[in-house]
Amino acid sequence: MRTDPELPFFFGADSGLFGMYHAPATSPRRAVLMCPPLGQELIRTHRLYRQLAQALAAQGLAVLRFDYHGTGDSAGESTDVDWQRCVGDAVSAAGELRSRAGVDRVVAFGARLGGSIALAAADRARFTEVIAWDPVVDGDDYVAALDTMQAALREDADRFNQPRSQADVAEQWLGFDIGDSLRKQIKALRVPAPNVPTLVLDSLPASAAPRWDHLVSQRGKVATIAPPTPWSDLRRLETAILSHPLIQAVTGRLTEGA
Amino acid sequence: MREEAFRFGRARHLVGIAGLPEGARGETGVIVLNAGMVHRIGPFRLHVELTRQLNAAGYPTLRFDLSTLGDSGASGGGLTRTQQVSADVDDAMKLLAERAGCEHFVLVGLCSGAQNAHTVAASDPRVSGAVFLDGYAYQTVGYKLRHYLPRMFDPARWARFLRHRAGGGGSDKPASEPVFAVAPAPREEVIADFTGMVGRGMKLYLVYSGGISFCFNHARQFRECFGKVMDHPAVTTSYRAETDHTYILTGDRARLVDGIGGWVARNFPPAAGRHA
Repeated sequence: MRTDPELPFFFGADSGLFGMYHAPATSPRRAVLMCPPLGQELIRTHRLYRQLAQALAAQGLAVLRFDYHGTGDSAGESTDVDWQRCVGDAVSAAGELRSRAGVDRVVAFGARLGGSIALAAADRARFTEVIAWDPVVDGDDYVAALDTMQAALREDADRFNQPRSQADVAEQWLGFDIGDSLRKQIKALRVPAPNVPTLVLDSLPASAAPRWDHLVSQRGKVATIAPPTPWSDLRRLETAILSHPLIQAVTGRLTEGA
Repeated sequence: MREEAFRFGRARHLVGIAGLPEGARGETGVIVLNAGMVHRIGPFRLHVELTRQLNAAGYPTLRFDLSTLGDSGASGGGLTRTQQVSADVDDAMKLLAERAGCEHFVLVGLCSGAQNAHTVAASDPRVSGAVFLDGYAYQTVGYKLRHYLPRMFDPARWARFLRHRAGGGGSDKPASEPVFAVAPAPREEVIADFTGMVGRGMKLYLVYSGGISFCFNHARQFRECFGKVMDHPAVTTSYRAETDHTYILTGDRARLVDGIGGWVARNFPPAAGRHA
Protein backbone atom coordinates (compact mmCIF):
# COMPACT_ATOMS: atom_id res chain seq x y z
CA MET A 1 0.00 0.00 0.00
CA ARG A 2 1.28 3.42 -0.95
CA THR A 3 1.97 5.89 1.86
CA ASP A 4 1.66 9.56 1.06
CA PRO A 5 4.38 11.71 2.60
CA GLU A 6 1.80 14.42 3.25
CA LEU A 7 -1.59 13.18 4.37
CA PRO A 8 -4.64 15.41 4.94
CA PHE A 9 -7.17 14.06 7.44
CA PHE A 10 -9.68 14.96 10.13
CA PHE A 11 -9.24 13.97 13.77
CA GLY A 12 -10.35 14.83 17.30
CA ALA A 13 -13.83 15.07 18.75
CA ASP A 14 -16.42 14.40 16.02
CA SER A 15 -13.49 14.33 13.58
CA GLY A 16 -13.77 18.09 13.47
CA LEU A 17 -10.10 19.11 13.41
CA PHE A 18 -8.20 19.28 10.13
CA GLY A 19 -4.64 18.03 10.09
CA MET A 20 -1.83 17.57 7.59
CA TYR A 21 0.67 14.92 8.61
CA HIS A 22 4.17 15.07 7.14
CA ALA A 23 5.79 11.66 7.44
CA PRO A 24 9.59 11.44 7.30
CA ALA A 25 11.20 8.85 5.08
CA THR A 26 12.67 7.00 8.05
CA SER A 27 11.32 6.09 11.44
CA PRO A 28 11.29 9.32 13.50
CA ARG A 29 12.69 9.81 16.99
CA ARG A 30 11.00 13.17 17.53
CA ALA A 31 8.00 15.01 16.20
CA VAL A 32 7.01 18.65 15.73
CA LEU A 33 3.52 20.05 16.25
CA MET A 34 2.99 23.26 14.31
CA CYS A 35 0.45 25.50 16.04
CA PRO A 36 -0.90 28.12 13.63
CA PRO A 37 -1.69 31.71 14.54
CA LEU A 38 -5.29 32.95 14.41
CA GLY A 39 -7.19 35.14 11.98
CA GLN A 40 -5.48 36.55 8.92
CA GLU A 41 -2.06 35.56 10.28
CA LEU A 42 -3.08 31.92 9.82
CA ILE A 43 -3.69 32.54 6.13
CA ARG A 44 -0.55 34.64 5.69
CA THR A 45 1.71 31.97 7.21
CA HIS A 46 0.14 28.91 5.58
CA ARG A 47 2.77 28.67 2.86
CA LEU A 48 5.63 29.16 5.30
CA TYR A 49 4.23 26.51 7.66
CA ARG A 50 4.14 24.06 4.78
CA GLN A 51 7.69 24.88 3.73
CA LEU A 52 8.92 24.49 7.30
CA ALA A 53 7.04 21.22 7.74
CA GLN A 54 8.60 19.83 4.57
CA ALA A 55 12.06 20.93 5.66
CA LEU A 56 11.65 19.31 9.08
CA ALA A 57 10.27 16.08 7.58
CA ALA A 58 13.26 16.02 5.23
CA GLN A 59 15.58 15.94 8.23
CA GLY A 60 13.74 13.01 9.78
CA LEU A 61 11.10 14.59 12.01
CA ALA A 62 7.42 13.72 11.92
CA VAL A 63 5.34 16.90 11.60
CA LEU A 64 1.69 17.71 12.10
CA ARG A 65 0.07 20.95 10.96
CA PHE A 66 -3.52 21.49 12.06
CA ASP A 67 -6.34 24.04 12.34
CA TYR A 68 -8.14 24.89 15.59
CA HIS A 69 -11.92 24.61 15.83
CA GLY A 70 -13.47 27.51 13.93
CA THR A 71 -10.35 28.17 11.84
CA GLY A 72 -8.96 26.97 8.52
CA ASP A 73 -10.55 23.74 7.31
CA SER A 74 -11.65 22.62 10.78
CA ALA A 75 -15.29 22.47 11.79
CA GLY A 76 -16.95 25.46 13.37
CA GLU A 77 -17.54 29.06 12.44
CA SER A 78 -15.08 31.87 12.94
CA THR A 79 -17.26 33.21 15.75
CA ASP A 80 -16.77 29.89 17.59
CA VAL A 81 -13.03 30.43 18.12
CA ASP A 82 -12.29 30.19 21.83
CA TRP A 83 -8.91 30.51 23.51
CA GLN A 84 -9.31 27.60 25.90
CA ARG A 85 -10.56 25.41 23.09
CA CYS A 86 -7.55 26.35 20.96
CA VAL A 87 -5.26 25.25 23.78
CA GLY A 88 -7.29 22.05 24.15
CA ASP A 89 -7.07 21.43 20.40
CA ALA A 90 -3.29 21.77 20.58
CA VAL A 91 -3.27 19.13 23.32
CA SER A 92 -5.45 16.82 21.18
CA ALA A 93 -3.22 17.41 18.18
CA ALA A 94 -0.13 16.51 20.21
CA GLY A 95 -1.79 13.21 21.13
CA GLU A 96 -2.72 12.56 17.52
CA LEU A 97 0.84 13.26 16.43
CA ARG A 98 2.30 10.89 19.03
CA SER A 99 -0.06 8.19 17.87
CA ARG A 100 0.71 8.62 14.17
CA ALA A 101 4.46 9.05 14.53
CA GLY A 102 4.95 6.45 17.24
CA VAL A 103 7.11 8.81 19.29
CA ASP A 104 6.67 10.45 22.66
CA ARG A 105 8.95 13.48 22.27
CA VAL A 106 7.03 16.33 20.70
CA VAL A 107 8.40 19.83 20.11
CA ALA A 108 5.89 22.62 19.50
CA PHE A 109 6.37 25.46 17.05
CA GLY A 110 4.05 28.44 16.73
CA ALA A 111 3.98 31.93 15.25
CA ARG A 112 2.26 34.87 17.00
CA LEU A 113 -0.82 33.57 18.87
CA GLY A 114 0.20 30.09 17.73
CA GLY A 115 3.35 30.51 19.80
CA SER A 116 1.27 31.71 22.74
CA ILE A 117 -1.03 28.70 22.43
CA ALA A 118 1.97 26.35 22.28
CA LEU A 119 3.37 27.93 25.45
CA ALA A 120 0.00 27.76 27.20
CA ALA A 121 -0.45 24.10 26.23
CA ALA A 122 3.13 23.04 27.02
CA ASP A 123 2.40 21.25 30.31
CA ARG A 124 -0.83 19.53 29.29
CA ALA A 125 0.56 18.51 25.91
CA ARG A 126 3.88 17.38 27.44
CA PHE A 127 5.95 19.27 24.89
CA THR A 128 9.67 18.69 25.31
CA GLU A 129 10.41 22.14 23.92
CA VAL A 130 8.60 25.17 22.56
CA ILE A 131 9.83 27.32 19.68
CA ALA A 132 7.78 30.50 19.58
CA TRP A 133 8.13 33.02 16.76
CA ASP A 134 7.12 36.53 17.83
CA PRO A 135 4.63 35.10 20.31
CA VAL A 136 1.95 37.38 21.71
CA VAL A 137 2.75 37.77 25.39
CA ASP A 138 0.74 40.88 26.18
CA GLY A 139 -2.90 40.60 25.12
CA ASP A 140 -3.64 44.26 25.80
CA ASP A 141 -1.09 45.44 23.27
CA TYR A 142 -2.19 42.88 20.69
CA VAL A 143 -5.87 43.81 20.99
CA ALA A 144 -5.00 47.50 20.76
CA ALA A 145 -2.97 46.88 17.59
CA LEU A 146 -5.78 44.91 15.96
CA ASP A 147 -8.35 47.55 16.92
CA THR A 148 -6.13 50.24 15.40
CA MET A 149 -5.75 48.31 12.15
CA GLN A 150 -9.48 47.58 12.00
CA ALA A 151 -10.26 51.28 12.49
CA ALA A 152 -7.83 52.19 9.70
CA LEU A 153 -9.36 49.54 7.47
CA ARG A 154 -12.74 51.30 7.63
CA GLU A 155 -11.44 54.19 5.60
CA ASP A 156 -8.70 52.47 3.64
CA ALA A 157 -8.90 54.16 0.23
CA ASP A 158 -6.80 51.39 -1.32
CA ARG A 159 -9.55 48.93 -0.43
CA PHE A 160 -12.88 50.78 -0.45
CA ASN A 161 -14.27 53.40 -2.83
CA GLN A 162 -15.97 55.10 0.11
CA PRO A 163 -15.28 54.83 3.85
CA ARG A 164 -17.48 52.22 5.47
CA SER A 165 -19.74 52.78 8.44
CA GLN A 166 -18.73 51.98 12.00
CA ALA A 167 -21.38 49.26 12.03
CA ASP A 168 -19.90 47.65 8.92
CA VAL A 169 -16.55 47.07 10.62
CA ALA A 170 -17.71 46.48 14.20
CA GLU A 171 -16.85 43.34 16.14
CA GLN A 172 -14.37 42.16 13.54
CA TRP A 173 -10.61 41.92 13.27
CA LEU A 174 -9.21 42.06 9.77
CA GLY A 175 -11.71 39.82 8.03
CA PHE A 176 -13.05 37.74 10.88
CA ASP A 177 -15.94 38.13 13.31
CA ILE A 178 -14.73 38.37 16.87
CA GLY A 179 -17.01 37.38 19.69
CA ASP A 180 -16.89 39.32 22.91
CA SER A 181 -15.59 36.26 24.70
CA LEU A 182 -12.50 35.80 22.52
CA ARG A 183 -11.76 39.49 22.69
CA LYS A 184 -11.77 39.36 26.49
CA GLN A 185 -9.72 36.17 26.52
CA ILE A 186 -6.99 37.63 24.32
CA LYS A 187 -7.04 40.97 26.13
CA ALA A 188 -6.43 39.16 29.39
CA LEU A 189 -3.69 37.00 27.88
CA ARG A 190 -0.54 36.78 29.99
CA VAL A 191 1.53 33.83 28.83
CA PRO A 192 3.34 32.18 31.73
CA ALA A 193 6.87 30.89 31.48
CA PRO A 194 6.71 27.24 30.48
CA ASN A 195 8.47 24.49 32.38
CA VAL A 196 10.27 23.32 29.25
CA PRO A 197 13.17 24.70 27.21
CA THR A 198 11.94 27.62 25.13
CA LEU A 199 13.40 29.33 22.09
CA VAL A 200 11.90 32.69 21.21
CA LEU A 201 12.56 33.77 17.64
CA ASP A 202 12.25 37.53 17.55
CA SER A 203 11.59 39.31 14.28
CA LEU A 204 9.54 42.21 15.61
CA PRO A 205 10.67 45.75 14.80
CA ALA A 206 12.95 47.07 17.54
CA SER A 207 10.33 49.62 18.55
CA ALA A 208 7.69 46.93 19.06
CA ALA A 209 9.79 44.20 20.61
CA PRO A 210 8.39 43.18 23.96
CA ARG A 211 10.54 41.97 26.77
CA TRP A 212 10.84 38.23 26.55
CA ASP A 213 12.69 37.99 29.86
CA HIS A 214 9.99 36.18 31.77
CA LEU A 215 9.60 33.55 29.04
CA VAL A 216 13.26 32.65 28.84
CA SER A 217 14.52 33.38 32.33
CA GLN A 218 14.81 29.75 33.34
CA ARG A 219 15.43 27.42 30.43
CA GLY A 220 15.22 29.48 27.32
CA LYS A 221 16.91 31.84 24.96
CA VAL A 222 16.08 34.46 22.39
CA ALA A 223 17.38 34.54 18.83
CA THR A 224 16.86 37.46 16.52
CA ILE A 225 15.70 37.00 12.96
CA ALA A 226 16.17 39.65 10.31
CA PRO A 227 14.55 41.35 8.52
CA PRO A 228 11.60 42.33 10.74
CA THR A 229 8.32 40.60 9.87
CA PRO A 230 5.54 43.00 8.78
CA TRP A 231 2.79 41.46 10.92
CA SER A 232 0.97 44.75 11.50
CA ASP A 233 1.28 46.48 8.13
CA LEU A 234 -2.24 46.98 6.76
CA ARG A 235 -0.89 47.42 3.23
CA ARG A 236 0.49 43.89 3.34
CA LEU A 237 -2.53 42.34 5.00
CA GLU A 238 -3.07 39.85 2.19
CA THR A 239 0.55 39.22 1.37
CA ALA A 240 2.02 35.88 2.39
CA ILE A 241 4.69 35.93 5.06
CA LEU A 242 7.72 33.99 3.91
CA SER A 243 11.02 33.77 5.75
CA HIS A 244 13.99 31.67 4.83
CA PRO A 245 15.84 32.81 7.98
CA LEU A 246 12.97 31.46 10.09
CA ILE A 247 13.16 28.07 8.39
CA GLN A 248 16.92 28.02 8.89
CA ALA A 249 16.58 28.93 12.56
CA VAL A 250 14.03 26.20 13.32
CA THR A 251 15.61 23.45 11.26
CA GLY A 252 19.00 24.37 12.72
CA ARG A 253 17.66 24.13 16.24
CA LEU A 254 16.12 20.73 15.59
CA THR A 255 18.95 19.20 13.60
CA GLU A 256 20.58 17.54 16.57
CA GLY A 257 19.19 14.17 17.46
CA ALA A 258 16.35 14.21 14.97
CA MET B 1 -23.22 17.14 6.21
CA ARG B 2 -19.76 15.78 6.56
CA GLU B 3 -16.43 16.99 5.23
CA GLU B 4 -13.72 14.64 4.03
CA ALA B 5 -10.11 15.48 3.26
CA PHE B 6 -8.66 14.05 0.08
CA ARG B 7 -5.33 13.70 -1.62
CA PHE B 8 -6.29 13.03 -5.22
CA GLY B 9 -5.46 13.65 -8.85
CA ARG B 10 -3.58 11.79 -11.55
CA ALA B 11 -0.33 12.16 -9.60
CA ARG B 12 -2.06 12.27 -6.17
CA HIS B 13 -0.69 15.77 -6.05
CA LEU B 14 -3.87 17.64 -5.16
CA VAL B 15 -5.39 18.33 -1.74
CA GLY B 16 -9.02 19.24 -1.19
CA ILE B 17 -11.95 19.13 1.18
CA ALA B 18 -15.19 17.62 -0.09
CA GLY B 19 -18.44 18.63 1.60
CA LEU B 20 -20.92 15.80 1.25
CA PRO B 21 -24.53 16.38 2.35
CA GLU B 22 -25.99 13.44 4.26
CA GLY B 23 -27.91 10.98 2.15
CA ALA B 24 -27.75 13.09 -0.97
CA ARG B 25 -26.16 12.22 -4.25
CA GLY B 26 -26.55 15.48 -6.08
CA GLU B 27 -26.51 15.84 -9.81
CA THR B 28 -24.80 19.21 -9.55
CA GLY B 29 -21.63 19.70 -7.54
CA VAL B 30 -19.90 22.99 -6.81
CA ILE B 31 -16.12 23.32 -7.11
CA VAL B 32 -14.32 26.35 -5.71
CA LEU B 33 -10.93 27.33 -7.15
CA ASN B 34 -8.07 29.20 -5.44
CA ALA B 35 -8.25 32.98 -5.27
CA GLY B 36 -4.74 34.13 -6.11
CA MET B 37 -2.19 32.44 -3.86
CA VAL B 38 -4.56 31.92 -0.92
CA HIS B 39 -4.99 28.27 -0.02
CA ARG B 40 -8.31 26.52 -0.43
CA ILE B 41 -10.07 28.10 2.57
CA GLY B 42 -10.24 31.32 0.54
CA PRO B 43 -9.72 34.95 1.52
CA PHE B 44 -10.83 35.35 5.14
CA ARG B 45 -12.26 31.80 4.92
CA LEU B 46 -14.75 32.76 2.18
CA HIS B 47 -14.58 29.34 0.54
CA VAL B 48 -15.26 27.51 3.79
CA GLU B 49 -18.33 29.64 4.50
CA LEU B 50 -19.59 29.28 0.91
CA THR B 51 -19.16 25.53 0.60
CA ARG B 52 -20.74 24.82 4.00
CA GLN B 53 -23.77 26.96 3.17
CA LEU B 54 -24.15 25.11 -0.14
CA ASN B 55 -23.76 21.78 1.66
CA ALA B 56 -26.57 22.80 4.03
CA ALA B 57 -28.73 23.39 0.95
CA GLY B 58 -27.90 19.88 -0.27
CA TYR B 59 -25.14 20.51 -2.81
CA PRO B 60 -21.92 18.49 -2.76
CA THR B 61 -18.87 20.73 -2.90
CA LEU B 62 -15.11 20.59 -3.26
CA ARG B 63 -12.68 23.33 -2.29
CA PHE B 64 -9.19 22.37 -3.36
CA ASP B 65 -5.73 23.64 -4.16
CA LEU B 66 -4.59 23.69 -7.78
CA SER B 67 -1.12 22.31 -8.56
CA THR B 68 1.64 24.12 -6.63
CA LEU B 69 -0.82 26.25 -4.64
CA GLY B 70 -1.72 25.72 -0.98
CA ASP B 71 -1.01 22.12 -0.02
CA SER B 72 -0.98 20.72 -3.55
CA GLY B 73 2.23 19.68 -5.24
CA ALA B 74 3.30 19.60 -8.85
CA SER B 75 2.13 16.78 -11.08
CA GLY B 76 5.40 16.63 -12.99
CA GLY B 77 3.61 16.27 -16.28
CA GLY B 78 5.29 19.06 -18.21
CA LEU B 79 2.01 20.78 -18.97
CA THR B 80 1.49 24.49 -19.56
CA ARG B 81 -0.25 26.27 -16.67
CA THR B 82 -3.52 26.40 -18.61
CA GLN B 83 -3.31 22.69 -19.41
CA GLN B 84 -2.45 21.99 -15.78
CA VAL B 85 -5.46 23.94 -14.50
CA SER B 86 -7.75 22.04 -16.86
CA ALA B 87 -6.24 18.72 -15.80
CA ASP B 88 -6.56 19.62 -12.10
CA VAL B 89 -10.21 20.63 -12.44
CA ASP B 90 -10.82 17.44 -14.42
CA ASP B 91 -9.39 15.50 -11.47
CA ALA B 92 -11.61 17.49 -9.10
CA MET B 93 -14.75 16.76 -11.14
CA LYS B 94 -13.89 13.07 -11.23
CA LEU B 95 -13.47 13.03 -7.45
CA LEU B 96 -16.83 14.69 -6.84
CA ALA B 97 -18.48 12.38 -9.39
CA GLU B 98 -17.06 9.37 -7.59
CA ARG B 99 -17.86 10.54 -4.05
CA ALA B 100 -21.23 12.22 -4.61
CA GLY B 101 -22.50 11.06 -8.00
CA CYS B 102 -22.25 14.51 -9.56
CA GLU B 103 -22.62 14.68 -13.32
CA HIS B 104 -22.57 18.45 -13.76
CA PHE B 105 -20.56 21.12 -12.05
CA VAL B 106 -20.66 24.76 -11.12
CA LEU B 107 -17.23 26.40 -10.90
CA VAL B 108 -16.65 29.34 -8.57
CA GLY B 109 -13.56 31.53 -8.73
CA LEU B 110 -12.39 34.94 -7.55
CA CYS B 111 -9.89 36.91 -9.64
CA SER B 112 -7.33 34.40 -10.94
CA GLY B 113 -9.85 31.77 -9.81
CA ALA B 114 -12.42 33.36 -12.13
CA GLN B 115 -9.89 33.27 -14.93
CA ASN B 116 -9.21 29.58 -14.32
CA ALA B 117 -12.94 28.82 -14.04
CA HIS B 118 -13.43 30.64 -17.34
CA THR B 119 -10.74 28.58 -19.05
CA VAL B 120 -12.33 25.29 -18.02
CA ALA B 121 -15.94 26.41 -18.48
CA ALA B 122 -15.19 27.47 -22.05
CA SER B 123 -14.28 23.96 -23.10
CA ASP B 124 -15.63 21.32 -20.69
CA PRO B 125 -19.21 20.17 -21.32
CA ARG B 126 -19.58 18.92 -17.74
CA VAL B 127 -19.52 22.51 -16.49
CA SER B 128 -23.13 23.70 -16.37
CA GLY B 129 -22.62 26.91 -14.41
CA ALA B 130 -19.92 29.35 -13.35
CA VAL B 131 -19.60 32.14 -10.83
CA PHE B 132 -16.99 34.69 -11.85
CA LEU B 133 -15.98 37.03 -9.02
CA ASP B 134 -13.98 39.96 -10.37
CA GLY B 135 -13.17 38.10 -13.56
CA TYR B 136 -12.22 39.58 -16.91
CA ALA B 137 -12.87 43.31 -17.21
CA TYR B 138 -11.88 46.06 -19.61
CA GLN B 139 -11.77 49.82 -19.31
CA THR B 140 -14.50 51.07 -21.64
CA VAL B 141 -15.34 54.57 -22.85
CA GLY B 142 -18.10 54.58 -20.26
CA TYR B 143 -15.61 53.63 -17.57
CA LYS B 144 -13.31 56.49 -18.50
CA LEU B 145 -16.13 59.03 -18.56
CA ARG B 146 -17.36 57.88 -15.17
CA HIS B 147 -13.84 57.85 -13.79
CA TYR B 148 -12.35 61.06 -15.16
CA LEU B 149 -15.27 63.46 -15.66
CA PRO B 150 -16.12 63.88 -11.96
CA ARG B 151 -12.45 64.43 -11.24
CA MET B 152 -12.18 67.22 -13.80
CA PHE B 153 -14.78 69.24 -11.93
CA ASP B 154 -13.55 68.51 -8.42
CA PRO B 155 -11.77 71.64 -7.03
CA ALA B 156 -10.28 69.72 -4.13
CA ARG B 157 -8.68 67.24 -6.50
CA TRP B 158 -7.21 70.09 -8.59
CA ALA B 159 -5.85 71.70 -5.44
CA ARG B 160 -4.21 68.42 -4.42
CA PHE B 161 -2.77 68.00 -7.88
CA LEU B 162 -1.28 71.49 -7.93
CA ARG B 163 0.16 71.13 -4.42
CA HIS B 164 1.66 67.82 -5.43
CA ARG B 165 3.24 69.30 -8.55
CA ALA B 166 4.61 72.32 -6.69
CA GLY B 167 6.12 69.99 -4.13
CA GLY B 168 8.13 68.10 -6.70
CA GLY B 169 5.67 65.33 -7.39
CA GLY B 170 7.13 62.72 -5.06
CA SER B 171 4.76 60.25 -3.53
CA ASP B 172 4.56 60.31 0.25
CA LYS B 173 2.31 57.27 0.48
CA PRO B 174 3.56 53.85 -0.51
CA ALA B 175 1.08 51.93 -2.59
CA SER B 176 -0.52 48.78 -1.31
CA GLU B 177 1.14 45.66 -2.47
CA PRO B 178 -0.76 44.00 -5.29
CA VAL B 179 -2.63 40.97 -4.05
CA PHE B 180 -4.18 39.43 -7.09
CA ALA B 181 -4.22 40.19 -10.74
CA VAL B 182 -6.12 38.83 -13.70
CA ALA B 183 -4.00 38.69 -16.82
CA PRO B 184 -5.99 40.13 -19.67
CA ALA B 185 -7.31 38.05 -22.51
CA PRO B 186 -8.50 39.53 -25.81
CA ARG B 187 -11.99 40.90 -25.26
CA GLU B 188 -13.40 39.37 -28.44
CA GLU B 189 -12.15 35.99 -27.29
CA VAL B 190 -13.84 36.37 -23.91
CA ILE B 191 -17.10 37.46 -25.55
CA ALA B 192 -16.94 34.44 -27.86
CA ASP B 193 -16.36 32.20 -24.85
CA PHE B 194 -19.37 33.66 -22.97
CA THR B 195 -21.50 33.28 -26.09
CA GLY B 196 -20.44 29.67 -26.47
CA MET B 197 -21.11 28.96 -22.79
CA VAL B 198 -24.70 30.20 -22.80
CA GLY B 199 -25.20 28.64 -26.23
CA ARG B 200 -24.66 25.21 -24.78
CA GLY B 201 -26.96 25.90 -21.84
CA MET B 202 -24.56 27.12 -19.17
CA LYS B 203 -25.71 29.57 -16.50
CA LEU B 204 -23.33 32.42 -15.60
CA TYR B 205 -23.16 34.68 -12.57
CA LEU B 206 -20.76 37.61 -12.77
CA VAL B 207 -20.19 39.44 -9.48
CA TYR B 208 -17.80 42.38 -9.63
CA SER B 209 -16.68 44.48 -6.69
CA GLY B 210 -15.67 48.06 -6.02
CA GLY B 211 -12.23 46.65 -5.31
CA ILE B 212 -11.43 46.61 -9.02
CA SER B 213 -12.30 50.26 -9.60
CA PHE B 214 -9.09 50.62 -11.59
CA CYS B 215 -10.88 48.86 -14.44
CA PHE B 216 -14.58 48.52 -13.57
CA ASN B 217 -16.91 51.06 -11.99
CA HIS B 218 -20.57 50.55 -12.86
CA ALA B 219 -23.19 47.87 -13.39
CA ARG B 220 -23.59 49.10 -16.97
CA GLN B 221 -20.01 48.07 -17.66
CA PHE B 222 -20.92 44.40 -17.97
CA ARG B 223 -22.83 45.31 -21.14
CA GLU B 224 -20.12 47.76 -22.22
CA CYS B 225 -17.44 45.09 -21.86
CA PHE B 226 -19.15 42.01 -23.20
CA GLY B 227 -22.04 43.24 -25.35
CA LYS B 228 -25.41 41.66 -25.89
CA VAL B 229 -24.51 38.27 -24.43
CA MET B 230 -24.94 39.98 -21.05
CA ASP B 231 -28.65 40.34 -21.88
CA HIS B 232 -29.06 36.59 -22.28
CA PRO B 233 -31.45 35.14 -19.67
CA ALA B 234 -28.77 32.65 -18.62
CA VAL B 235 -26.52 35.48 -17.47
CA THR B 236 -26.91 37.20 -14.11
CA THR B 237 -24.73 40.15 -13.15
CA SER B 238 -24.16 41.99 -9.90
CA TYR B 239 -21.97 45.02 -9.25
CA ARG B 240 -21.17 45.66 -5.59
CA ALA B 241 -19.57 49.09 -5.54
CA GLU B 242 -19.22 49.26 -1.77
CA THR B 243 -17.23 46.07 -1.29
CA ASP B 244 -13.54 45.42 -1.62
CA HIS B 245 -11.95 42.80 -3.84
CA THR B 246 -11.72 40.04 -1.23
CA TYR B 247 -14.81 40.73 0.91
CA ILE B 248 -12.93 41.49 4.09
CA LEU B 249 -16.02 42.71 5.95
CA THR B 250 -18.09 39.85 7.26
CA GLY B 251 -21.40 41.47 6.30
CA ASP B 252 -20.25 41.88 2.68
CA ARG B 253 -19.06 38.30 2.68
CA ALA B 254 -22.33 36.97 4.08
CA ARG B 255 -24.28 38.84 1.41
CA LEU B 256 -22.01 37.44 -1.30
CA VAL B 257 -22.41 33.89 0.01
CA ASP B 258 -26.20 34.36 0.20
CA GLY B 259 -26.20 35.73 -3.32
CA ILE B 260 -24.30 32.77 -4.73
CA GLY B 261 -26.44 30.33 -2.74
CA GLY B 262 -29.61 31.92 -4.09
CA TRP B 263 -28.30 31.90 -7.65
CA VAL B 264 -27.33 28.22 -7.40
CA ALA B 265 -30.74 27.31 -5.94
CA ARG B 266 -32.60 29.18 -8.69
CA ASN B 267 -30.54 27.82 -11.56
CA PHE B 268 -29.87 24.31 -10.31
CA PRO B 269 -32.97 23.67 -8.23
CA PRO B 270 -32.79 20.88 -5.67
CA ALA B 271 -35.78 19.07 -7.21
CA ALA B 272 -34.04 18.79 -10.56
CA GLY B 273 -30.73 18.00 -8.98
CA ARG B 274 -31.89 15.31 -6.55
CA HIS B 275 -30.44 17.29 -3.67
CA ALA B 276 -31.40 16.74 -0.08
